[in-house]
Amino acid sequence: MALRPVVGAASLGRRLERHARKAAAAGATEAALAGLDALLVSRLAAEAVDRVVASALARSAVSNALEGPIVEAVARDVVRYAVFDRVTAELVAGDALEEAPRTVMASEAVADLTDAILASGVVEQAVARVLEGPELERVVTSALDSPVMERLVTRVIESQLLDQAVERLLESDELWVLVDEIAQSPAVMDAIAQQSVGFADQVAGGVRARSQNADTWIETRVRRALRRRPASGVHPPEPR
Amino acid sequence: MSHAVRRAVQAARPEHTTPAAQAQPAEPAYQGLVTRSIAFAVDAAIINLVAMVVAIAVGLAVSVLPLPNSLDPVLVSLGGLAYLLWSTGYFVVFWSSTGETPGDRLMHIRVCTADAQQPPTPLRALVRLGALVLAAIPLFAGFLPILVDERRRGLHDMIAGTVVVGVTVATLSSNRGDAEAGRG
Repeated sequence: MALRPVVGAASLGRRLERHARKAAAAGATEAALAGLDALLVSRLAAEAVDRVVASALARSAVSNALEGPIVEAVARDVVRYAVFDRVTAELVAGDALEEAPRTVMASEAVADLTDAILASGVVEQAVARVLEGPELERVVTSALDSPVMERLVTRVIESQLLDQAVERLLESDELWVLVDEIAQSPAVMDAIAQQSVGFADQVAGGVRARSQNADTWIETRVRRALRRRPASGVHPPEPR
Repeated sequence: MSHAVRRAVQAARPEHTTPAAQAQPAEPAYQGLVTRSIAFAVDAAIINLVAMVVAIAVGLAVSVLPLPNSLDPVLVSLGGLAYLLWSTGYFVVFWSSTGETPGDRLMHIRVCTADAQQPPTPLRALVRLGALVLAAIPLFAGFLPILVDERRRGLHDMIAGTVVVGVTVATLSSNRGDAEAGRG
């Protein structure tokens, strides 16, 4: 009973000591952070960092780090924590992907780069390579063979758009001017002439073959009637 | 009739056939009666078509002229003479120049001398045409030797010393090449 005031005083003392210690720690932390902020924005800190980065020590440290196992460890962690997936998800969710192309396209660097590429002849070489190589043929062949292309063509043919386009094309005078030009072109006239000559030649060839067969048939019978041996100087019809 | 044919055939038969001649591989393909008749019919169609067009044109022109009727026999005679000259010139010029009339060309045949395989001279072509008329007079009996002759020669061929052979594809190409070279 007699010790109760003493115990109470000791307890109060401990509480006061804890409060004082907490207050001192908070003040020290605030002061340290304020000092750090002041240090980070100071010209001295920037100069110091620049010097450190430019120093041989920094280069050596980076080299040692790249040579060491830290690279593999970082890579493992990147894979383990799906860093790329998370970054990609953030990029896709935000406007960064839409803004980046706009920014790039708006810059003059793209125009300069395009001019330089066009002037270097790379485009011509690439086009020639594509046209001469088997890739284009493979792509076109696979595209034409695909059912998607078949469905696409079917939809285009069945759509009213094609009918309207054909209708408007047939109504235009330019089409008939173009048709007249093509019909009167020397190439078309030559093709028609060759076709006509080819047909006439085909008919004449048929007549020739039949007449020669008739010659052989008649002479065979006449010689048989006259009891003469078959002619030796008579040749069968030439194959044409 | 068969007697005449037999004589013509015997006259046309080669005297001696040597082994060397038999060994010659490049014997031409002699053409028969049907093929030659078709070629001749095409030529006759061309000749008569041209003659009709010319006769119609000349007749129309003459009809508007105030000519006396007494001139009609003269005009008819002139027309007949023109037709004779035209048809004669047609065959003689084509046979002696290339050996092919348009009808022959259509049927891929040509007339050539029996010995040198060359187109006949104009005189020989004229003789052949005259003999052709002679062969046609006895109901076309002069053409019957074509059916039995070794070289498919008719009476007119025997008289003129000619044969009718087929034109090979190579010869046609060669002729076309020569013609194009001549044009170039």
